[in-house]
Amino acid sequence: MNENENNFEALRQLLALKRHEIPPPGYFENFSGEVTARIRAGEGRAVKRRRHESSWLFRLLSAFEAKPAFAGAFASALCMLLLFGIVYAERPDVAPQPLLQTAQAASPLAAATSVALNSVPAEQPALMSDSSTNPVFNSQSAGPWFASQEATVQPVNLVLPGNN
Amino acid sequence: MIMAEPIPSTEPEPSAPVNENELVRDARRGDLKAYDELVKRYQQRIYATIYHMTSNHEDANDLAQDSFIKAFQALKSFKGGSSFYTWLYRIAVNKTINFLKQRKNRTHMSLNDIDFNAEHDPDLMALISEQTPRRAAGLTELQEKLNEALLKLSEPHRLVVVLHDVQGLSHEEIAEVMECNVGTVRSRLFYARQQLQGFLADYLK
Repeated sequence: MNENENNFEALRQLLALKRHEIPPPGYFENFSGEVTARIRAGEGRAVKRRRHESSWLFRLLSAFEAKPAFAGAFASALCMLLLFGIVYAERPDVAPQPLLQTAQAASPLAAATSVALNSVPAEQPALMSDSSTNPVFNSQSAGPWFASQEATVQPVNLVLPGNN
Repeated sequence: MIMAEPIPSTEPEPSAPVNENELVRDARRGDLKAYDELVKRYQQRIYATIYHMTSNHEDANDLAQDSFIKAFQALKSFKGGSSFYTWLYRIAVNKTINFLKQRKNRTHMSLNDIDFNAEHDPDLMALISEQTPRRAAGLTELQEKLNEALLKLSEPHRLVVVLHDVQGLSHEEIAEVMECNVGTVRSRLFYARQQLQGFLADYLK
């Protein structure tokens, strides 16, 4: 036991050497300054992060992360919108239709011309086979077109700004 | 059982507890000046503890800074159940042990220089042969062997040796820092010393 005590005493003496290990001169002069500077820098970053988090886009993305169902619903809505846009864009006659329908409702003559209009495309392939330098329609076939158009044309007064 | 001698501290001892409490209270409100004062009070002890655990100055510097920053961020959770000093120690020790676990088997020593006073330390003079022509060289070799031996200990055993035999903390203080009972501290200390004795047998004759 005494021998052990003596050995531990020698060890204690040796461990005293650890207390003499010192960092480079001046090391502790800057230490606290570096710590507080890092804390300040961290606070600055935290403020920036809070600002970033308050933006609507960040909140939206956060909502996606928090609720995957919401993200799915949002994606589905986007797809539906895109699909609707594509389908709507591929319907060329959508805009003129109300005009013709109005004309049909206004007079039975217009209704008759619309039937004639529907028969025009059947003749078109023959006309389209002509050379590109020729007009697409001849005057005979254009007749019913213009006749039907005349029924709906109305005089319009255009007033351009600065032209008073 | 041997007892550690009081540490010859070069830093000012923490002043009256009231003052420290005031500093802690101000720091909790975000007063960096008050916290700067607290850092200055404990920087040497915290750095030294981490350095003796890692045997690497650069790692000790990073970990000590990180510990103080973490302590500042966690100040709001400090209830005052223990002293600020013990609480700070606990943060530093936990951070260091986590770091050492991650670094396992990748130990790289970067030792600090030994100060001039070491050659006049009576404890050390007794260990160095009087016939050694270059005493400084002898001390450097001894320093390396001692640090290597310490790194062979497990982290909890190394920690009790560092806190008690190097830093001079009491068994009770160590128990509070390590969140274990005093008996565990004593048994760990005994086992760690035995192991160190075996590793350093050639230098303890």
